[in-house]
Amino acid sequence: MTTNTNNRSPAEQGLWLLIVGLAAWMIPGAGHFLLRERKRGIILFIVITGLFTIGLYVGSIGVVDWVTGRIWFYAQILCSPAVGMIASITKHGGYPTYGRPCDVGQIYTGIAGLLNLLCVLSAVYMAYCGRGEIVGQEEQDDV
Amino acid sequence: MFDCAAMLASFTAPIEIGTNEWSIVWMFPLIAAISLVYKATKMRVLLTKKYLLESLLLFLSVSGFMIMAIFVLNLLDWLITG
Repeated sequence: MTTNTNNRSPAEQGLWLLIVGLAAWMIPGAGHFLLRERKRGIILFIVITGLFTIGLYVGSIGVVDWVTGRIWFYAQILCSPAVGMIASITKHGGYPTYGRPCDVGQIYTGIAGLLNLLCVLSAVYMAYCGRGEIVGQEEQDDV
Repeated sequence: MFDCAAMLASFTAPIEIGTNEWSIVWMFPLIAAISLVYKATKMRVLLTKKYLLESLLLFLSVSGFMIMAIFVLNLLDWLITG
């Protein structure tokens, strides 16, 4: 059974989990970075932002479309709140996307968002278990 | 000199991807990313060699399954319509 190893009051612990979750959502990998899981955080940041950027490059920023691609947008916004800024740029149209590049772009950006959701849940769970402090040292010893 | 404006402009128009069998290779970067992220969240201790090996194994097994599915679906298509 999972136990809470942190010496924090329940209110502080709740706030800490919220901070970790929000950080992980705002910047992919930041939640793990806060937990001193630096290697994990850097890997997650590079892979998720890389995947999202490739998706935007392939399909253009038009793949982030709040108006006509709302279901995809729900997945994409999980990558970062910054995706909302892209949606505000594209909401008036003017960035046409079509065919296979649109499919690939939407899939890449959508999967990047869903992968970040996995990372948010992972970071919050690690914060709840107090795992970062234990495992971080073991990883630092690895060359 | 590095042209920042040109780089940003490249994100405003889609690239060309043909609707041929080669467009399927776009699944490989996606599978690689999923493998790397999944193993990064799953492994208790992230030791570099073990992490890379396990990610590679997951990548190969998912890719292998996808390629097998492609062959089976093409075989079914050939049996039904051929």
